[in-house]
Amino acid sequence: MTTINMLAPWQWALLAVIPAVIVLLYFLKLKRQPLEVPSTYLWHKSIEDLHVNSIWQRLRRNILLFLQLLFIGILAFAFLRPGWRGTELTGDRFIFLIDNSASMSATDVEPTRLDEAKRRVSELINQMATGDVAMIVSFSDAARVDQLFTDNRRELLRGLEAIRPTNRKTLLGEALRVAAGLANPGQSAFEISDTQVAEPLPATVYIFSDGRFPSVEGFSLGNLEPKFVPIGDDVAPNVAITAFSTRRREDQADQLQAFARLTNTGVEPVAAQVELYRDEELLDADQVELDAGDAGGVVFDLGEVQTGVLKLRTSSGGALAVDDEAWTVIDPPTQAKILFVTPGNDALELAFTTESAEEMAEVDIVEPGYLETDEYRARTAEGYYALVVYDQCQPKELPPANTLFIGTLPPGQTWTAGEPVEAPQIIDVETAHPLMQLIDLGDVKFAETRVLEVPSGGTSLIDSHVGPMFAIAPRGPYEDAVLAAEIYGVDADGERFANTDWPLRLSFPVFVLNAIRYFGDVGTATAGNTVQPGETVHLRSATSADSLAVRTPSGKQVSLGRETSETFSFSGTDELGVYLIEEPDQPVRRFAVNLFDPPESDIAKTDDVQIGYVEVAGEASWEGARQELWKVLLMGALVVLCVEWYIYNRRVYL
Amino acid sequence: MSNATQSDALLSPEFLAQLERMELVSRKIFRGRMKGERRSPRKGHSVEFADFRNYVPGDDLRFIDWNTYARLDRLFLKIFFEEEDLRFYSLIDASASMSFGTPSKLRYAQQLAAALGFIGLIRGDRVRIETLGQRQTRSPAYRGRQNVWRMQEQLLAIEPDQTTSLTTGVKNFCIRNPGKGIVVVISDLMDKEGYESAFKYLLSRQMDIYVIHVLSAEELDPEIKGDLRLVDCEDDDVAEITASAPLLKRYQKTLAAFVEGAREFCARRGMNYLLANNQVPVEQLISGYLRRRGLVR
Repeated sequence: MTTINMLAPWQWALLAVIPAVIVLLYFLKLKRQPLEVPSTYLWHKSIEDLHVNSIWQRLRRNILLFLQLLFIGILAFAFLRPGWRGTELTGDRFIFLIDNSASMSATDVEPTRLDEAKRRVSELINQMATGDVAMIVSFSDAARVDQLFTDNRRELLRGLEAIRPTNRKTLLGEALRVAAGLANPGQSAFEISDTQVAEPLPATVYIFSDGRFPSVEGFSLGNLEPKFVPIGDDVAPNVAITAFSTRRREDQADQLQAFARLTNTGVEPVAAQVELYRDEELLDADQVELDAGDAGGVVFDLGEVQTGVLKLRTSSGGALAVDDEAWTVIDPPTQAKILFVTPGNDALELAFTTESAEEMAEVDIVEPGYLETDEYRARTAEGYYALVVYDQCQPKELPPANTLFIGTLPPGQTWTAGEPVEAPQIIDVETAHPLMQLIDLGDVKFAETRVLEVPSGGTSLIDSHVGPMFAIAPRGPYEDAVLAAEIYGVDADGERFANTDWPLRLSFPVFVLNAIRYFGDVGTATAGNTVQPGETVHLRSATSADSLAVRTPSGKQVSLGRETSETFSFSGTDELGVYLIEEPDQPVRRFAVNLFDPPESDIAKTDDVQIGYVEVAGEASWEGARQELWKVLLMGALVVLCVEWYIYNRRVYL
Repeated sequence: MSNATQSDALLSPEFLAQLERMELVSRKIFRGRMKGERRSPRKGHSVEFADFRNYVPGDDLRFIDWNTYARLDRLFLKIFFEEEDLRFYSLIDASASMSFGTPSKLRYAQQLAAALGFIGLIRGDRVRIETLGQRQTRSPAYRGRQNVWRMQEQLLAIEPDQTTSLTTGVKNFCIRNPGKGIVVVISDLMDKEGYESAFKYLLSRQMDIYVIHVLSAEELDPEIKGDLRLVDCEDDDVAEITASAPLLKRYQKTLAAFVEGAREFCARRGMNYLLANNQVPVEQLISGYLRRRGLVR
């Protein structure tokens, strides 16, 4: 047993005076009132019966005094903070990394893993010696510094208390980089030789986690000494919903089906009960037999359902609750309206009429002469078309819609291009842009192209060795994309020729689908897709309004301003459930946030983690930091005080 | 005159009138000095025949039964019971502890002694009032109705200031009064040395012993509260107590044991024991309890 002195010498001196004062007061207090009696004979005999032995008798006579001294003694002992050293804190700088990802909400440790982690950290904080400093970082897929380095325990405990569970997945890397900031100061390479920019401050990193995260690659601990404290049970039963979506039946397009996938991460087979709700009304229920570590699917036939919010719930969810519910949104089927103006383009026409494309879009294919009609003017003016594709033709002015120009430039001075260049070599494709996702142009050749001058704010999507070939640029609420190379061209003799072999490649229909999806606002998050918690959602407005409101599942309304010309970014997707997108004079749209993360749902704790090349073994047993005795002592003191009060009032004995 | 007033206070005229019809009864027959109204173990000259015995030369010829001589031709002497007076002692404890109570235990003892003494005087018994702390000189013996006032005066002169222990007092009493008789000990028996040895002295004298144990209401049922320092009025002994229900209960138990012990001690040795609460009027005690116990009739 060890003690920690909590008082300064003068405080001890003050404490030492109290017993003396008690003794003094006791004797003052014990001035008994004299009373003359005929004889004390019987009284002595009465007292003698109570005083069997003299030591006990003396003790009894002064029992109140003894109790009071005992009380002070216990208090003084409590001030010494006696306890048994458990896990000792080593070093004088500590970084507590606390996992607050979804799996830390598991209840296999009472009350939750996160609470257990916080309790352990608070024990360590209380054990810190004077002068020790610590920092608290909580991490899920992002790291958050809850308390910077300080030696103020109260600040640390407050920072610790502020940590809330999240529904996100776990990534340790960022947290470690935050932790490493001071321990491994960066190297500056401005001079001839590397110089250290600051003194390294070694620190001990305590990682409180269930270890359900991918090993951290490419990170060097340097001056950090890691200690991994695994939290949770080795075997924690859990059944997770890892996928939930709806689809139209292949054979009957008006019939809807809901698909769900459940994973049993426990070690026992489970017959999982699932219930399907539509707008909070029970629709159907089923049971899925899941072997240990196995996954299984369940299908519900929904019939003709046009709209609604589907919720799937499993009542045998196990220790982790956040993956026991999943939502998906059924929106009325919408098709993007696309106007394709071309003198003739078999390849694009074919691509626009694939089954997938027809599902997503309704394409009107017209001759360039249509541009002169009133119908064209009227329809574009009212925003009927989400996208207008101009192939080998050019309108007099740009319509209030997204546009894709193929082989020509938009009217006006915004877009300019150089003279045609033969045999451009494609050297880069901006695959990060939604338009170019999954597109590989390595095997595509163009006969000739013009080189685009990308207007300001625009992005080049395909770069050739001579310059940009394909670019996109915002125009108010709309975007214009321009492919400077033709697909079909007309040569000097008026003969049609194929300028590229792209239509023969798989990437071409994919590009067309991307274009329909991107410009037609089809297949984004708002169309029933689900988002993982913490992910940023890019929302598009159907109108040119400058703001958009998102209502979270808990009813909080978040107003979003237009971030770029065409999208609104919403990153507050921490809650699970259905979010509403509210726009004036527009139907409410919805999207769902679901965990759907099998590794996060697999909540059995791991005993070691890999950080860079270092394998950090979990602390085998947690000694509960320090077994503090002072609470028990204070309770004891309280009991002594109560006994003293009782005896004083009842005068059971002398 | 003041004494007369006090004596009036000691015993009321109505009570005196009641007492006149009573007499002291001894369960044992004692030899007296003067001829009184009682039979004596000594044969004498009363009218009541007791026995015959053979004549021996020197006997008073007046007591020869001549009728028997005529019939049997032998000389027999007639023996008669002697009638004698009774010696009655009131032995009063006049220690400081007797001054407690309302009326004080001493006052109560005085009244008792006066009442009993009055009966004795009326019946021609020899009445002597003694106290435990008395010096070696004997108290005067009173006899006859004319001495009632003197006896009362002596009683009233007793002050609760004597310090002799019960044992010493009784021993001295026995030395002073060698004769037999009825002795009524009126005391609170609150002697730290105990009462046993004292009573043994009396028992050795084969006296008819009555013990009237006088206790005041505050001794029988003390009403005290708080932290107290009890001071013994006789020896200044101190007992520090904190009055509590359990302690008072224990006191009652101790008191009951003490009284029961005294009662049993007396009963085993042929003594009469009577616990007297100073709240019970003397009249009631004499005409009720003592009559039932056979001291008076």
